[in-house]
Amino acid sequence: MSERYALLLKLLYPVVALVLVIAGWALAVDAFEIPRYVMPSPMDVANHIADDWPALVKGFGQTFMEFLLGFLAGAIAGFVFAVLMDASRPVRGILYPVLITSQAIPIVAISAALTIWLGFGLAPKLVIVALVVFFPVVVNVLDGLASVDKDILNLVRSMGASRFSIFRHVKLPATYTPLFSALKLSATFSVTGAVIAEWTASTSGGIGAYLLQANSRLNTAGTFAAIVFLALLGLVSFLLVIAAEYWLTPWRSGSKARRWSSSYWKD
Amino acid sequence: MKVQPDTMTDAAPPKLALHAVTQRFGETLALSPTDLSVRAGEFVSVVGPSGCGKSTMFNIIAGVLQPTGGRVLIDGRDVTGRAGEVGYMLQKDLLLPWRTVLDNIVLGALLKGKAGPKERAEGVALARRYGLGDFINHYPSALSGGMRQRAALMRTLAMHRDVLLLDEPFGALDSQTRFAMQQWLLSVWERERRTIVFVTHDIDEAVFLSDRVVVMSPRPGRIREVIEVPIPRPRPVSALTSPVFSTIKQRIIDLIYENSPALELAHV
Repeated sequence: MSERYALLLKLLYPVVALVLVIAGWALAVDAFEIPRYVMPSPMDVANHIADDWPALVKGFGQTFMEFLLGFLAGAIAGFVFAVLMDASRPVRGILYPVLITSQAIPIVAISAALTIWLGFGLAPKLVIVALVVFFPVVVNVLDGLASVDKDILNLVRSMGASRFSIFRHVKLPATYTPLFSALKLSATFSVTGAVIAEWTASTSGGIGAYLLQANSRLNTAGTFAAIVFLALLGLVSFLLVIAAEYWLTPWRSGSKARRWSSSYWKD
Repeated sequence: MKVQPDTMTDAAPPKLALHAVTQRFGETLALSPTDLSVRAGEFVSVVGPSGCGKSTMFNIIAGVLQPTGGRVLIDGRDVTGRAGEVGYMLQKDLLLPWRTVLDNIVLGALLKGKAGPKERAEGVALARRYGLGDFINHYPSALSGGMRQRAALMRTLAMHRDVLLLDEPFGALDSQTRFAMQQWLLSVWERERRTIVFVTHDIDEAVFLSDRVVVMSPRPGRIREVIEVPIPRPRPVSALTSPVFSTIKQRIIDLIYENSPALELAHV
């Protein structure tokens, strides 16, 4: 009973925080008589969202797609690179400086070049988002692979494990924790990446493009509506990563194997 | 020709034998030529100060380290430098945090891709028999230090090796847990009838558990003396304070510290 109460409180706090921020915002706009074109009230933004709902939802879908595909591509590519770099010293020696240098280049600069190479469609957005995720994933997974206890490796070798078996049962699971810290960090950043890519050039819409358009028309209610949707997108992406983490690393969130998992022993 | 039964056992090769096993690391002689033989079902402890070569000897028997010279035999077979011939366990339990206790126990089979219902049922039986029956579906993080070491020993038992090599398995536990674990280990050993080589710093532990205690000394690492422990089994707790126990303990302390205690302290 008290556990359920604690959970309820945990869910209640963010709601209270949200209500406080919106109330403070509404009061401030009223009290200081801020003109609507400088700062719209929450009601203005809500009205705008209701009026322009289809366009905003369509934009949300577009940007979400860019995020999701780019994020997966970047995470998978980063993971594969890390595994290759861990397996071979020359590969690591050659790739590491290249990776570091690539990180030193601002995303915006790459974004402009990508438009020239890949056009105005989905492709350059995916590349930008993937680039945002790629580096943290490589670095963290590489760390995870390198930090596997030497004594465990000795033990499993002495138990007759093959190289593949060691990778599958020992090295791969050891990367999950650092992998998910990288993914959590880059989830919200990659939404920013998608927005920047849309700003550079876009014919396919998206919330970033919507924001740019509303802003250039001094449509502050529209700008804020876009901001609300971007915040939502950031939250959704973060929650997706948390959900994947919960699903894929059950040993970190519970003390027992889940009943439906294959490693659960039933009599 | 008729052979007497006891002559036959004498003729059989020892379960584990070291013949002139030597290890050099560059200039230093970590282990000078060492001979040792252990009978089947025997419990032998190895004690000695740091640098006496007991870890080196452990790694050589485990097959993780190729000795500079000499041979390691199991049942008369040469297994020098071959890993996987003995089951071994360290002070660190080395349980995989992402696997359940049961999966960790059957890890040997799991790694070879054949942890089927039979192996898992056997793992469950082990866990139930030796006090982890309620935890087979738990992850290691939910276990106490003593329980984790028990799981690690079951993993070693499930590998079906005749010789078990234990390197300070209870070194990280508090003294109460440690004592309970020692008694538990003896009960497992009495039931499983495996041959155990047990490396430890703790002289009480060595005497209480073993049939024989191998005392080693450093510079160069070598066996000083092998001491029989003639205390009958099963050994009650009172054995710890018996005169025989004290005499043996005193003898071991003399052997370890007679060189130069000051020098030993300088290495702490």
